[in-house]
Amino acid sequence: MRIGRCLTVLATLGMLGVGAASAQTTGVAPELVVRNWYRLVLELVRHTPTMSPPVASRAMAYIGVSAYETVAAGADDMTSLAGQLNGLTDVPTRETGAVYDEAVALQAALSASVASFFANTGPTGQRAMTAVTDKFGAKVSEGVPADVVARSAAYGRAMAAHIVHWSQGDGGAVVENMGFPYDYTPKEGPQYWVPTSLVRQQQAPLLPQWGNNRPFVMPTGNACPLPAPPEYSEDPGSQFYAEAKEVFDVAANLTDEQKTIARFWSDDPMLSPTPPGHWMSIALQILERDGADVKTHLDVMTRLGIGMSDAFIGCWYSKFEYDLVRPVTYIRRVIDPNWETALITPPFPEYPSGHSTQSGAAATVLTALYGDAYAFSDATHEDDGLAVRDYTSFWDAAEEAGLSRLYGGIHFRAAIERGLDQGRCIGEHTNALKTLVK
Amino acid sequence: MRAVSALLTCLAGLPATAQTPPMFAEETTSAGIAATFAGEWEEMVGGGVATFDCTGDDNPEVLIAGGVNPAGLWRNESPVGGPLAFVPQLSGLEMTAVSGAYPLDIDSDGIMDVVLLRVGENVVMRGLGQCRFERANEAWGFDGGDAWSTAFSAAWEAGAAFPTLAIGNYIDRAEEAFPWGSCTDNWLHRGGAAGFKAHLALTPSYCALSMLFTDWNRSGTPSLRVSNDREYYKGGQEQLWDVSPGAAPRLYTEADGWERLRIWGMGIASHDVTGDGYPDYFLTSMADSKFQTLKPDAKGPAYADLAWVRGITAHRPYTGGDLRPSTGWHAQFEDVNNDGLADLFVSKGNVWDMPDFAKDDPNNLLVAGGPEGRFVEMGDVAGAGSMQAARGAALADLNGDGMVDLIVVNRNSPAQIWRNVTPDAGGWVQLRLGQPAPNVDAIGAWIEVRAGGAVQRREITSGGGHASGSLGWWHFGIGGASGAEVRVLWPDGTTGPWQAVGAKAFYRLERGAEPKVAAR
Repeated sequence: MRIGRCLTVLATLGMLGVGAASAQTTGVAPELVVRNWYRLVLELVRHTPTMSPPVASRAMAYIGVSAYETVAAGADDMTSLAGQLNGLTDVPTRETGAVYDEAVALQAALSASVASFFANTGPTGQRAMTAVTDKFGAKVSEGVPADVVARSAAYGRAMAAHIVHWSQGDGGAVVENMGFPYDYTPKEGPQYWVPTSLVRQQQAPLLPQWGNNRPFVMPTGNACPLPAPPEYSEDPGSQFYAEAKEVFDVAANLTDEQKTIARFWSDDPMLSPTPPGHWMSIALQILERDGADVKTHLDVMTRLGIGMSDAFIGCWYSKFEYDLVRPVTYIRRVIDPNWETALITPPFPEYPSGHSTQSGAAATVLTALYGDAYAFSDATHEDDGLAVRDYTSFWDAAEEAGLSRLYGGIHFRAAIERGLDQGRCIGEHTNALKTLVK
Repeated sequence: MRAVSALLTCLAGLPATAQTPPMFAEETTSAGIAATFAGEWEEMVGGGVATFDCTGDDNPEVLIAGGVNPAGLWRNESPVGGPLAFVPQLSGLEMTAVSGAYPLDIDSDGIMDVVLLRVGENVVMRGLGQCRFERANEAWGFDGGDAWSTAFSAAWEAGAAFPTLAIGNYIDRAEEAFPWGSCTDNWLHRGGAAGFKAHLALTPSYCALSMLFTDWNRSGTPSLRVSNDREYYKGGQEQLWDVSPGAAPRLYTEADGWERLRIWGMGIASHDVTGDGYPDYFLTSMADSKFQTLKPDAKGPAYADLAWVRGITAHRPYTGGDLRPSTGWHAQFEDVNNDGLADLFVSKGNVWDMPDFAKDDPNNLLVAGGPEGRFVEMGDVAGAGSMQAARGAALADLNGDGMVDLIVVNRNSPAQIWRNVTPDAGGWVQLRLGQPAPNVDAIGAWIEVRAGGAVQRREITSGGGHASGSLGWWHFGIGGASGAEVRVLWPDGTTGPWQAVGAKAFYRLERGAEPKVAAR
């Protein structure tokens, strides 16, 4: 995410003011409120250690629902997600006939929900949230009648409280030790995952119970099951060995383009907005490019958030169902004891690839919204010195994201291909939601 | 590069003797030092302490950064071997917004000067004698700038009368809502004939929290190691700058063998722990710290991480029940039990209400000499495992008894001080280098001490740690040996002779002269 753009938004708001975006708004355009908070969210994801990719996907999904419902309550063409999402009961309603300012309501809902889901962030994140809440909030309220501000802000806060309360029962609300169990005994057997890191905290796998969380829309974490991975074998004639040898051979002959792809989709926690944040960034870039209105913003961001959060639940269910060994472990054991990976191997089981599953889900959701051949450019990592990449479609990007894990030496091909398949299945659950009528 | 390695490895060794548990007695309330590094966001990092002698009695005084409080100097009146005793000393150093402090005889007049890192303008303070200081920015052509300065190191480049100062800067403090990616430039103030040249920006800069000029490959020219806080940079990593005289600084890259490492870099401690003749580097971070040693047969600056195998990841509290990851700041290798092996102190403390990290985070005292070269945590049994939110620190012999004492600066709570009272500690020697101006304290030299069948070697540096530095006596434990042989590899490459010294004494090692016992 380009900070420069974000600052431009803030500077524009501060220096010039922004005209009304709807009949009920005399302050800031509500889509700018959405964009500003999402940009902060992507920074907070990067700078809040609790925010591993599954946890980040959950936070972004709930924040999206909070914002969506805030606006949907006053829009005839937006269907509430209450009753469509697992466990979401009827949301607070607006006073009949009363005037609400969408930007003020969104500002209140987003500031409250972001503060809740990023309560663990550090002093700089807290300072940033306060700045955006107070200073941007004042700008958003400028020129809006006091009674409308009070009513709208109260409504936004009530919506956030409702969504936060709903979130508490999903199994993912409490994350201790950044998601790493304090004690963990690996299963016995060469096929099973063992720690691959010399980081002490990562001697247990990340979030082994995450697959049991309540999904947003698919019925359970096992709604899109996968076939078993290739049977473990150290026989050079086996499929398992062949897949490992492919990882080994690819690593030995990486092209510059493959290295670039591996790094572009690496999306390391605490060094990037993580994989779900990367796709959120893509969506924000497209929405900005298109000059989309607030309803489209919320429709896209909420659907995408839900799809990716469910993808992590489904993926994690499968990861701990099969608990498969990572390439680095197998290759050092069987092929080359000194083998090194291009990317840091994530601290959890191999099958399926998390980035593949969630990229498959993201591509499925975005393709349903924008079509099969929607070309776009991705400048997510420009601030980190990685060049913009161009894609012919969302699936073009998703497939590259999957292959990046092969180039990085952290996944076998089966985990990538079946991960994408699983993501497609999970994304279709999201696509069945009724949201914005176009 | 590796030519000296084989010989030194033969000479060096890890004694197989059982570890002597160190023991520290806290004397915070009785020692007379009352200082608190205080503040909020702009004081979440920093909090340094400097130790150096400014009275001429060879006992180190203590200077403590205060953040929003004024910095303070305390004169050392501790009796030899007795309780630690200090008195406040008006010095001219009583500035606010000081984040860190490093002693350095900048003008080589034999009187210690001080560099004050600040949130705002940095200030070089010329020593006037008897612990009085005056601002010398203008006199020495030093542009203190206006930044959030958090790291420092100094070296003398060949032919320069004044040192070259590297200053690390942190976040653009004007950025409130989106400070990430706003790391401001680090500066290189190169020394000239009578002062400093206009500073160079060390671009790219990645929010440095520690810097150290160090001769990583024993080439005779130190490079600048920079440890950066990944919380705030984008596209950044740890850095090593080639700072060769007369040439523009150049970053080592992957083409040189440098391997990308991204940590919450907060402090650097260096010592030749592995005995291969090259400095090893301990890097503090959040959760796991790193301990880097030059890879065997490395063609460039390629390092292996031995933190795990040496038992010094220092990743979470070892006592007190808070199981969340630790936050490490200052680190320093010193031999606290005088057994001839450098031990490791790490100050710990939550940044500021970060719930993902330990709140009760004890300082580490990792004692060398465990099985297979491992260090053993003894902070709690030694009485040095304070749970305060620590930042800078210094280990130095404050009462002249041959055992290094400890002072720790805490954020928003009083600094703490401990006297080393280790029973059955081994013997020691303490050495102070001297050579004609410039660089009278021989920054950049190496000291080698041969005792008990082992060789210890120490690079004389200025910088590193976390906003904290010491300059004065260099301490070596020598176990049960009755004496030692010492030699100095001077900064210009001249190797001094091996010279005999007795145990439990302070020696001045003047270039070209016999070791001279210092009266204490």
